[in-house]
Formats: sequence, structure tokens, C-alpha cells
Amino acid sequence: MKGVFARLIDWFDDRTGFRNLRHHALDEPLPAGTGWWFTLGSVLLFTLAVQVLTGICLALFYAPTPDHAWDSVKYITDAVRGGSFLRGLHHWGASIIVVAALLHMVRVVFFGSYRKPREVNWIVGLVLLNVILAFGLTGYLLPWDQRAYWATVVAINISRLTPGGGEFVASLLRGGADIGALTLTRWYAIHVMVLPLLLGVLIAAHLYLMRRQGISGPVRPQPGPSRMFFPYQAARDLTMAVVVGVLLAVLAWKGAPALEPPADPTSSDYIPRPEWYFLGLFQLLKYFPGRWEVVGALFIPGLAMGALALLPWLDRGRSREARQRLGILVPFTAGLAIVVTLTTLGARDMPKAGGADWNIQEIGGAAMIGTSDRCTRCHRPDGLAAPIQPGHISKPADWVEMHVADPEVIAAGVREAPQGSGTAQAETKAMIAAVARLRSGPPPALDEGTRRVYTEFARHCVSCHMVDGAGGKDGPDLSHAGLKLTAATIEQRIIDPKSVKPDSDMPAFGDKITPEDIRAIANWLASRR
Amino acid sequence: MKTHDSDRRSTLARLVTAGMGVIGAALAGLVGAAATPRTPDTSRKWRKAATIFDLPPDAPFAAVLADRHADGWYETRKETVVYLEKAGDGYRALSATCSHLGCRVAWNPQTKHFHCPCHGGVYDRDGQVISGPPPAPLTRVKVRVNSQTSDIEVEL
Repeated sequence: MKGVFARLIDWFDDRTGFRNLRHHALDEPLPAGTGWWFTLGSVLLFTLAVQVLTGICLALFYAPTPDHAWDSVKYITDAVRGGSFLRGLHHWGASIIVVAALLHMVRVVFFGSYRKPREVNWIVGLVLLNVILAFGLTGYLLPWDQRAYWATVVAINISRLTPGGGEFVASLLRGGADIGALTLTRWYAIHVMVLPLLLGVLIAAHLYLMRRQGISGPVRPQPGPSRMFFPYQAARDLTMAVVVGVLLAVLAWKGAPALEPPADPTSSDYIPRPEWYFLGLFQLLKYFPGRWEVVGALFIPGLAMGALALLPWLDRGRSREARQRLGILVPFTAGLAIVVTLTTLGARDMPKAGGADWNIQEIGGAAMIGTSDRCTRCHRPDGLAAPIQPGHISKPADWVEMHVADPEVIAAGVREAPQGSGTAQAETKAMIAAVARLRSGPPPALDEGTRRVYTEFARHCVSCHMVDGAGGKDGPDLSHAGLKLTAATIEQRIIDPKSVKPDSDMPAFGDKITPEDIRAIANWLASRR
Repeated sequence: MKTHDSDRRSTLARLVTAGMGVIGAALAGLVGAAATPRTPDTSRKWRKAATIFDLPPDAPFAAVLADRHADGWYETRKETVVYLEKAGDGYRALSATCSHLGCRVAWNPQTKHFHCPCHGGVYDRDGQVISGPPPAPLTRVKVRVNSQTSDIEVEL
């Protein structure tokens, strides 16, 4: 008497024929000698499955809008349970997929597996490789940090080189007049809907054709009976999946590379870098300046893809032995070596980290932001707005500028910002300058005395005097004031300029700045030589 | 010989199936962990609602407390209304949220009752249900007075 469960399974099989399906899927006879080289396709299937699952988890929290994309990725990293690990898996999984796909392709070329009758499946595989690279390109934009934004600016500018319609291609990729909200939604839709659909269909076709033609097996047919895929080859596939899974988990343990500051289209000193698997292309571009750029950007990669696609028709000898196919394998290996070399050169050519130093106005402005009631009224731990965190300002630059000028107005442009006194205007300018720098990180650490000098200088002096290239031009440049003047003279000139120089246009500051601060400013200026 | 081979095969088959099960379970655990929401932070703290001088002599005072409210990566402003009134030596603070379906009740100076605009719930000055569908009185909020600043603080 069969148990209830067994009878239920029998009933289900009777109605669906699933045992037959399982038999068809798993009991595939493989040629003798099918070994570890033939597990790379399964590794790809496994890692792609991990990408799908982690991608779905990320999509539960991600918001594809310029206002919130960065915040939502930050939230995933900091607040979602296992979120940092999840992002790490998705990030490193992409890299592992590119490596596994390339190795899989190299295996197919060296084994001559693309030859008749497997030409169509070879082409499907090449298209799959491009789909995988497109996943990498579109996914790179989604965190909407500086790296994401500027790498995409470059990618879209390259697309403008497309002969006979570059602007049209670029506008298709951009979605709008500039790279912004419409680009982000477009790339998100491509990344999570278009490409996964394509991937699914192409993988189904790839597997169908693989089963239809049987796997190519070892180059030299080996004696012995064929063995079933399950459990023999499946055991190898599983072992590889475990090895790759552990490697992936180790890489992902510390998460994905840290988010950079939010995308800032107004920043001028950011040097964009692509993800490592595009570094070869990035390096290649450097050898084709000006009007030749299109050669490096599109012709050479296009020709390489075209040559790969034609391989089954170029390689028509009788044998699959590597020694008999040197005419194919030598150029292929040379091409591979060029890609590896270009990638290495591209990786070595790293830009120097960090931009220019903070100037006095910016440092002073940052100190004012931390202390001024104008900001801390709302931006404090218990306040109506979140505390201002360096490197975490995700609002657009023009909005921030108007908000600093007129904090009461949350919707910028509703009314003219109040002008206030000259000092108030100087404060506003310093704070705006500081916020622009706070986008990329905190100000340099300074002792209290220096910070106070910088703050008072930014408040009262910078509008007219320049120091180290920042400031107004109405008064003399004070970068090297100590060469001409002593501290005592400077102090007197700040308190009452006319007492030292009767024809001076400079206003007196004796009643605007405290005597201690005037002395500190004078000492600091006198020390500048 | 034949049986030895088929033993080996079925052992391997079981191992492979178990291995796939373990991988599947690990991935399912990961998805489950990410998809299960964290328990929201429900900790309360004392917050200023008004000063003792704000309160009118003869009616409950509607204190509006606005604060930042984290909604995942999004931040909203949440407004909570608390009705404050002097009661005996101390103060009484009632949540303005109707116990029926969460609408905001309003003080009616004519009837001297709280009326809910949604389904006609009526509460007396003390928050007890007089008529309508509300299943429970208005929630009492803890209240204290800071004697130094004369601030009325509520625990929300």
C-alpha cells in the first residue's frame, strides 16, 4: 500500500507528466570524458540566478528618481537587513559573470565547439555576452552617485559617435535633453525589464540548442560508455557552484564599493572611471584622439565582435585539435592578450584622488553652517530637517543655493531671497560655497582658533580681499600680507584704516569684529609670507 | 558489480540533490531576510507640546506636534495632534486620533464634546465615548510640566 504522499505524486505525474520532464532534463547522456571544462555554463546559470534574486531584493527598496535613488541605495546599504551583503553579492556577482562568460567563450573556441552544427548557438552565446555587458552598463548608473553619473555621461557621449545617426542614438539612451530623471527611469526599465526578458529567452534558446545538438564533448573522442548528466556531471556543476558561491560570498562580505557623493552635474573636477570590464575599451579610446575616436570606440570593438561571429565559417578544417587550428587560435589568443593588456593599462592609469584643497571662504562657510541659527534651527538631531552630513547632500545644486539664501522657502524660486546686510550676504556666499564642497566630503580638521579666524575672515574680509585665489578684488590680495606688513599695522588697519592711510576706501571694523578676533586675524595675516 | 555501480550512483544522486537543496535554502534565506521588514522604532520620548500660557481657560488646546518621520529612505513630516487641558492640579492630554478608524477628532465649543468627522463618534471632555461607533475612549498621552521653562511636555 503506497503512502498518501506517493499517491499524490503519482496523481500529479498522471496529470502533468512531470517525471518525463525531469527524465528529459536530467538524464542526458554525455560523451565519455566530459569534464570540468564543461561546468562553466552551469556556473553562469548559477550566478545569473543569484543576480536575479539579489536584483529582486534590491528592487524592493530602490527608487529610480534623481531625488531618491542615492538615498534608497544608502538605505539598502545601512538599514536593510543584510543589505550591504546583498549589494555586495549583486556587485561582485556581475564581475564574476563577466569572467565566467569570457572563460566559457574561450573554452568553446579552444575546443572548437562552435563548429557545425552549432553555429547558431555560438551566435546566441555572443548575443548573450553583449546582453551581460549591457546589464553591467545600465546597472552602473542606478546608484546615482558621482561615479555612476559621470561614467554614464561618457558612455552616452561615446554613443554619439555612431555613424549616420549618433545624435539619435544618444537621445534614445538619454531619454531627455540631458542626462537626468528620464535617463535614470529608462536605464532602470532596461536593466530590470528589457534585459532580463532578453536574457531569459536567449538562455532558453541556448539550452534548447545545446540539448538538440548534444554537447560537443572532448576534442578527441574518448573510449568508454556515455554517462548521464545526473548525477555525474551535475555533481561537478554543483561543486563549481559551491566554489563560486563561497568566493562570491567572501567578496561580498564587506559589501559593494562605498557609495560616492550623490550625482552632481555641476561638479567640474570629477574624473569618471568605468567598471573594470570596460577599462579595456576606456584605454583603447586614448589611442584615438579627435576625429579618430570613432575607430577606437566603435569600429575596433565592432570588428572584433564581427570576427568572433564569423568564427564557425572561418574555421572549417577537418579536425577540432588545437594544433590543426593555429590559424584561428593564434589570432584569437593575440586578441585576448590585447584585451587583457588594455584592461591592465586602464586599471593602472588611476586619477589622483581628491580635488583641490578647501579655500578659506569654504572652510569659514562650513563653520558657519555648523553654528549659525539660520541652519541649525531645522538641521539638528531633533529638528524638522535632518542634520547636514558631508558627502550626503542629494538635493540639486541650484536648489541648495536658493535654500541657503532663503531657508524659509523650501520650494526654490518662489520669491526673491532677502538681501540683508553686507555681512549677511557674505555669510550666505560663504555657506553656499561650503555646501558645494560638502557634497564631496567633510572640511579639513582645524584647531578652534584657526577655524574662528577663517570664519571671521570669510564673514567680513573675503568680499573685497583675495587669499589663495578666493575672494573679491576690491582690496589688495592678502595671500602674502606678512611680506609687507606687521601684525600691529594690520590690526590697526582693520580697526580704523584711515588712521594709518587717510585716503583708504576700506570701512572700519573696530565696532564690527571683537578686538580678540581682529588681533587673531592680524596675526594670521602677518604669518602669511 | 552492477549493483555496486548503481549504489554509487544513487548515493551521488542523493548528495547532489541535498547540495542543491542547501544552496536553494541559503538563497531563500537571503531573500527572506531582505524582504522581511524590520520592526519599526516605537520608542517614545518627551516632547514640548505647548507652554502653560498657551492654554485657553475654557477649552482644550489643540497642540500640533510636527516631526520628521523616516519612511525607509524617504522622509515625511508627520503631524500629531494632542488636546491639552488643565485638569485639577495637573494637565490632561488626549490623542486627537479617533479610536474607531483613525480620523482626527475636533473640539466642538457648542456641545463641549469631541466630534469625529468620519462616522459621527462623540467623546466627552475626558475622552470617554458618548455615542457613535468608537470602541474605546481617546488615548491618554502622558503629560508633564517643566517647571523651569513652563513647557508642557507630552510623551509620544
